[in-house]
Amino acid sequence: MEKRYIKKDSLNGRVKKMAEAGLVYAPVKDGDNVLFQVLTPGMEPLTAYANSKNAPKNFFFPHTEKLMKYTRTEKGMAFSGELAEARDAVLFGVRPCDARSFVLLDMLFDQEKYRDPYYVARREKTTVICLACIHPPYTSCFCTSVDGGPTDAAGADILLTDLGERYLVEFLTPKGEKLEAHFAGEKAGDEADAQKQAITAQAEQEITSRIPAKEIKPILDANFEHPFWNTIHQKCLACGTCTYLCPTCHCFDISDEQKGDDGIRLRNWDSCMFPLFTLETSGHNPRPTQKERWRQRAMHKFKYYVDNFSAIACVGCGRCVMYCPVNIDIRKIVTDISKL
Amino acid sequence: MQNPYLPIPVVVSKIITEVETKDIKTFRLEFLNKEDEANFKYLPGQFAELSLYGKGESPIGIASSPTQPGYIEFTVQKAGVVTSSLHEIEEGTHMGVRGPLGNSWPIEYLEGKNIVVVGGGFAFTTLRSLINYMIHDDNRKRFGSITVIYGARTPGLLIYKDELAEWQKRSDINLNVTVDKGDASWKGREGFVPTVCKEVAPSSENAVTVICGPPVMIRFTLPVFFDLGFSKENIVTSLEMRMKCGIGKCGRCNVGSKYVCKDGPVFTLAELDKLTKEY
Repeated sequence: MEKRYIKKDSLNGRVKKMAEAGLVYAPVKDGDNVLFQVLTPGMEPLTAYANSKNAPKNFFFPHTEKLMKYTRTEKGMAFSGELAEARDAVLFGVRPCDARSFVLLDMLFDQEKYRDPYYVARREKTTVICLACIHPPYTSCFCTSVDGGPTDAAGADILLTDLGERYLVEFLTPKGEKLEAHFAGEKAGDEADAQKQAITAQAEQEITSRIPAKEIKPILDANFEHPFWNTIHQKCLACGTCTYLCPTCHCFDISDEQKGDDGIRLRNWDSCMFPLFTLETSGHNPRPTQKERWRQRAMHKFKYYVDNFSAIACVGCGRCVMYCPVNIDIRKIVTDISKL
Repeated sequence: MQNPYLPIPVVVSKIITEVETKDIKTFRLEFLNKEDEANFKYLPGQFAELSLYGKGESPIGIASSPTQPGYIEFTVQKAGVVTSSLHEIEEGTHMGVRGPLGNSWPIEYLEGKNIVVVGGGFAFTTLRSLINYMIHDDNRKRFGSITVIYGARTPGLLIYKDELAEWQKRSDINLNVTVDKGDASWKGREGFVPTVCKEVAPSSENAVTVICGPPVMIRFTLPVFFDLGFSKENIVTSLEMRMKCGIGKCGRCNVGSKYVCKDGPVFTLAELDKLTKEY
């Protein structure tokens, strides 16, 4: 595996150069927010920032995407299969927690029996450049509790670690190696590993939120009907913010839109927090109140995903903690469950 | 890469209004491309997403049997956006079908056993598929005795009436059709499905019960079969949940860790006992 050093102040220019050569998504300042956006001339990619408000999953699994289109014919309708064309792209500046979310989403969308061609095509064509967290940015960060880490490379093709004066550039996959030309620099040796290890140890120490996320699985297995589930949803507004900002939430709706003789079938992000999500035509709803919906959310992340894919569907980014309008805190929920 | 979201084009070749209330119709669909027909390999108990352009998709059990080549059939009650629109279309309409989806009735497990089929109301559709599959000349000897108990609220609400009459003539099916309440012309049996099951009292010896119907019917029928000695491993049913993708990704039809669309819809009672009761 190839390792190099690049000068710290050269990174911004290198990213802009990549954007001249092809499609680059990067974190940029947008008002008060940092958002991942398509980098166009004149835009400044951020290299030192906490984390983006939106999880970058939308570049593989957009909020809204066309699945197919169709036209009205004399006999009804004829469809014309449409695969949104996936373009070669670079997703720059992803934090390790969000990069890990791609590994988790791959488990669902890239299964052997039913591969999701829309997701898989974009994923295959996109090179992920990850920016390690040498100082985990938020008190709500808890990646180390869910199998992640501030300098983890899971899901990344290239990992950049800030070593002070320079970045250590690690090319982790063949896809990452294809971008070597953009990261020309001095070859890094074993000394880089030692330095990175020290930085990692320090960064891990700075993460103060530690929750028993992996320990609660057997408790969840046995407590579907526990009175605890009556407590967490009481103040939930069912706004769905947690699921929309979550890097691993993947639920979607499929709907049709028609205008004149042309129609499209779309998929849109959906949320288990919404009453309509499971409402059946008969009026029956297997998850009739916010209690069942919250139980589903907690169970899906910390039990069902573990049952199906042997992984927790949470990366510890803390977005749901930071942006919940009524301060529901998944860290507290997990900790409380551990005490049931 | 095969795209599991794209519907297969079909033409509606026949529409049968099944009941006197006219809100249950059977749609016969023929594939517009012959190779699609060859690729659409299914077993009784599976379902598909019926696709009506501009309206959306609706998951419906396949009512025909793979022993009936040339077409597939779906019996649909008029209920929501897609099914109501389906009830408006005419023969000759082009539409889409996406599938087959889900597991199936456990055909291999059923082989060599005596089969009891219990159905209520319009939930008889995939059971009809199973019956037609089992009584086909190529398959009949693979199964033991076949007992069918099928009930509807009134004679006018029985579906597949012509087929019921055909089956009644056969000596290799013990067919018991019942209605909750008959009318002046009804000469058959009257009584609720659980009561009729008790009267028919099929032996549990080397037998499996396949049951599908409204929850209230299932609730009162299961104790009858437990009393007859059927184990939970030998009672099989099919679940329904709101679905979109049908391939275990969109996240709404799970019961515990299992997706009804992908891991079901068919489960034994023993399997359901291990799941949460969130359906």
